[in-house]
Amino acid sequence: MRRVRPDEAEAAPDTLLIQRLRAREETALETLIVRYQARVFSLALRVTGNRQDAEEILQDVFWSVLRHIDAFRGDAKLSSWIYRIAMNAALMKIRQRPTAEHIPLDADLGPAMTGDGRIAEPVVDWTRLPGELERKELTRRLEEAVERLPPDYRTVLVLRDIEGLSTEEACEVLDLSVAALKSRLHRARLFLRKELSDYVTGRHRAPAAREPR
Amino acid sequence: MIRCRDVSDLLLDYVEGSLEPGAREELDQHLADCPGCLVFVRTYRHTVGLRPSCLPRSARIRAERFTNAS
Repeated sequence: MRRVRPDEAEAAPDTLLIQRLRAREETALETLIVRYQARVFSLALRVTGNRQDAEEILQDVFWSVLRHIDAFRGDAKLSSWIYRIAMNAALMKIRQRPTAEHIPLDADLGPAMTGDGRIAEPVVDWTRLPGELERKELTRRLEEAVERLPPDYRTVLVLRDIEGLSTEEACEVLDLSVAALKSRLHRARLFLRKELSDYVTGRHRAPAAREPR
Repeated sequence: MIRCRDVSDLLLDYVEGSLEPGAREELDQHLADCPGCLVFVRTYRHTVGLRPSCLPRSARIRAERFTNAS
């Protein structure tokens, strides 16, 4: 089979690719793979956090695209449709894993409030922690917190804040309304912010507690 | 008038730049007067900006080695 170069594949728009896939053209699958495998693999890897799962998803996705290409209506972008297939496959994998059952309500994820709606406690600013090590540790904590997000929140966060999809495209992929997507994204971010805040404030209190008596 | 309690509801649109101008001005005014909310907004924005890679540990270690070597 003739190898399709990525630049050659990129040059042909997705509408042409869809026609070629429907016509069962020999090189169409290769074009599809060249064009989408890196994006699908990256998405699957970031949602599942597991290379073997991501490889399985990659194979399933292309097989699924081939089987269903005749049913693809074209009212969504091909990329969104492929992302959606990948996301559903990734969700199947991670739904069997233990994560937080639910995340607290918005009110419990921000600073504590007084009865008349004012902030009730000092809010620690940890955005200027000194040193590369501190920054790396913070990122590590953040990644652990992302793993604990319930699947429906994790997928939204991965698409928007990690893969950098627009709100509209993420809505299309996840079949969510803009309001629902924003609500999940916001709660996921609040959850992560709180985890980092709790870590930093706990950590800065910790040395005194650990001192030998 | 915006109170601390209202800030969270406006936060996502605020940091994404999609809050309508009137509400944005009111929130800016509140943040100018309220150090607690200012830090809340700053740490929220910082959390989003940290961009976790969410790659498995093995892939992360390889990536770190690669960037350290370069």
